[in-house]
Amino acid sequence: MALIELDNITFSYAPQEPPVLRDFSMRVETGDCLALRGDNGAGKTTLFRVLNGLSFPQRGQYRFDGQEITQAWLKKPAHAKAFHKRVGYLFQNPELMLFNATVREEIAFGPRQMGLSKDELQTRVEDCLALFGLEALAEKAPYHLSGGQKKKVALAAVLALNPELLILDEPLAGLDRGSRSQLTELLEELRQAGKTLLLATHDDALCRELGAELLEMTAPE
Amino acid sequence: MIPAWMQKKEQFAPPGDGGAFAVRSLKALGGLLARVRVQRGREGRLRLPALWKLLLLLALLLTLSLSRQPLLLLALAALVLGYASTLPPGELWSVLKPALGAAVLALLLLLPAMLLWPEGRGNNLILAGKVFISIIMVNLLNRHTPWNQITRALRQLHVPGVFVFVLDLTLKYIVLLGGLMVELLTARGLRAVGRDRHKYRSVGGVMGVTFLRSTELSRQTWEAMCCRGFTEDYKGL
Amino acid sequence: MHIPENYLSPVSCAVMGAAMIPVWIHAVKKTNEELPKEKLPLLGAGAAFSFLAMMFNVPLVGGTTGHAVGGTLIALLFGPNAACIAVSVALLLQAVIFGDGGILAFGANCFNMAFVLPYVGYFVYRLIVKAGDGEKARSGFHLLGAAVGSYVGLNVAAFCCAVEFGLQPMLFRDALGNALYCPYDLSIAIPAMMLPHLAVAGLVEAAFTVAVFALVRKTAPDLSYDRLRVEAPRPGGKRYLPIFALIAVLIAACPLGLLATGTAWGEWGADEIAEIVTNGKALGYTPAGLEKGWSLNVPMPDYALEGMNEVLAYILSAVIGVALLVILFKLLSLVMRGRRNRA
Repeated sequence: MALIELDNITFSYAPQEPPVLRDFSMRVETGDCLALRGDNGAGKTTLFRVLNGLSFPQRGQYRFDGQEITQAWLKKPAHAKAFHKRVGYLFQNPELMLFNATVREEIAFGPRQMGLSKDELQTRVEDCLALFGLEALAEKAPYHLSGGQKKKVALAAVLALNPELLILDEPLAGLDRGSRSQLTELLEELRQAGKTLLLATHDDALCRELGAELLEMTAPE
Repeated sequence: MIPAWMQKKEQFAPPGDGGAFAVRSLKALGGLLARVRVQRGREGRLRLPALWKLLLLLALLLTLSLSRQPLLLLALAALVLGYASTLPPGELWSVLKPALGAAVLALLLLLPAMLLWPEGRGNNLILAGKVFISIIMVNLLNRHTPWNQITRALRQLHVPGVFVFVLDLTLKYIVLLGGLMVELLTARGLRAVGRDRHKYRSVGGVMGVTFLRSTELSRQTWEAMCCRGFTEDYKGL
Repeated sequence: MHIPENYLSPVSCAVMGAAMIPVWIHAVKKTNEELPKEKLPLLGAGAAFSFLAMMFNVPLVGGTTGHAVGGTLIALLFGPNAACIAVSVALLLQAVIFGDGGILAFGANCFNMAFVLPYVGYFVYRLIVKAGDGEKARSGFHLLGAAVGSYVGLNVAAFCCAVEFGLQPMLFRDALGNALYCPYDLSIAIPAMMLPHLAVAGLVEAAFTVAVFALVRKTAPDLSYDRLRVEAPRPGGKRYLPIFALIAVLIAACPLGLLATGTAWGEWGADEIAEIVTNGKALGYTPAGLEKGWSLNVPMPDYALEGMNEVLAYILSAVIGVALLVILFKLLSLVMRGRRNRA
């Protein structure tokens, strides 16, 4: 069974507006790595919102691991929480994801709710800080960090939940050269660990490194 | 090297509750933003100048509030309901819903009084009716009058330009900051996968970041004003 | 706490609106003095923030939620004077665009939520911070101040609101003695309003204020009002004296003003109301019935006296309440000072 199945999805933000996605279909198997490319306005971010259960298509079906994802199904907190635990989403603008007082709290926010022991939680947070070299910033306020640092914190906070599907909107944009190669390496490792990756990126090098399958998106006329 | 726990796939059974405050806040904000967008784009069918509408509304509200004559109240009700009845159904409901809610609330609030002092019942019912009619009137005005026309009307009433400027800015900031809150609450929801024992931390976080951004926005506006040659002449605004 | 249209008589609304005018003038003047030049955009930002804070659902026990007003929070972040303007603008938008709170009742709503709430909340906060060794007070004092300040501020505002409601049936009745607006007098309005605010809403307000204030202090300590404002020339305490003198005068004057207009209403009512009602009389009531109704109500002196007593009792209890608060905080500061000296 495929992890993601989209069948003829049509989505528009308002009834009178033209659709952003029209009759769009896609299949992603567990462990796949897929890079979406396309011009601005091609519907990449909209697709990501649909895949995260934030927007719901007017027509068509979205199944995640066999379960059809609908507004009604997600209304039940238990369903929504289990679903969000399995899907990690890095916003295109990571600044909009950070709402805690310190970087450490930001990363601990998700895993703290998972009923882990104190030690396990501690390990997770420290591991995630180390993964992105954020140790020195741990007690700083995310609000005051630079754009690149914010991106790292946001990604660390997502990875701390250990999701099996990672949806990353422009993960390399705004990072310096060193951070780019670091992050590329990390994504490669995650891929090898069996995570499913779905990226929107314009970075050819990253796609090559990951051996990602390319999917060209165009806006519907 | 990624840590061992990240290499495994884990099973997790979340608890089935919580997060109601964020869901409700999101809903309220979503409604607000949609409303403001409608507010900006729409022209009324009743093409009175906004200034007239504003004065008419004030006069009607005052009459309604002062009047005790059943016939006058009935006439007002007939006028307002008659006009409302010409609206398309969807719009009609969005005008009536808040008014009905307020009227029911008023009846509930007045219920003990009606039981205690039966002789005052008539007045109490009239009060609930007045609440109903006034809210419809306010709703009709703001459904059919874009915001920029209301501020223009305020200028015509010689309300100081500084004040109108602040009003316009406020509405702009409400859209910007409201959007920020929606995103923050959404991001929180995506990571709130279990039992949140520190809900007030999230509340403080979302509103705190919103405040920080509000000061940043105001500073940027100020700088942009200066860059375009603003000379602290607030009277000329 | 938003008072909708028609619960207060237009006369009360006018009185409250008139009471706000000197407050607004004072607030605008003070804001000019205290805040740096970019105050205008900052006021807009403050108003927008205040508007959104009032929309935010705050978690209560067991999945239920409530709303905070956030008046004290705005005062802590933007200063009490800027808060007064910001909350007023937010209330105006709510009334005109969203029909939340009456347009005629705008003055009364501003009095409670844009004047009483932020100034009282901020004043209590300053008292506690000062008791804890001024600006350098430990973070705990600032948060305690924010908690107590917002709790007290909201409850004092709710009390004012209750009084406004409670005065209506005493002052505005029809010829038959039935209430024209809010029918509950002080003896019902005050407990009905105060119990939920003391027990629930005040706590929500305090929790909300502390949660946001704590984050802002932690993340951007230089952004709260006390650092933002240009140093005021006069030392602390005294600066707020005029404001609180004004509050005291207004507390006392409001019911008096209302009473004055109320009796005036009754006085010219003797013939004029009769006239008004006669106009409407064409429709059913017999003038005789009206006259009877009026003469039935003639044991007026008694009622007027009763009304007088209640207003007097209200002023006295307001004085007692204020005095109790002052005493409480003086004692509190004494305890704090004693502890510091020992340390």
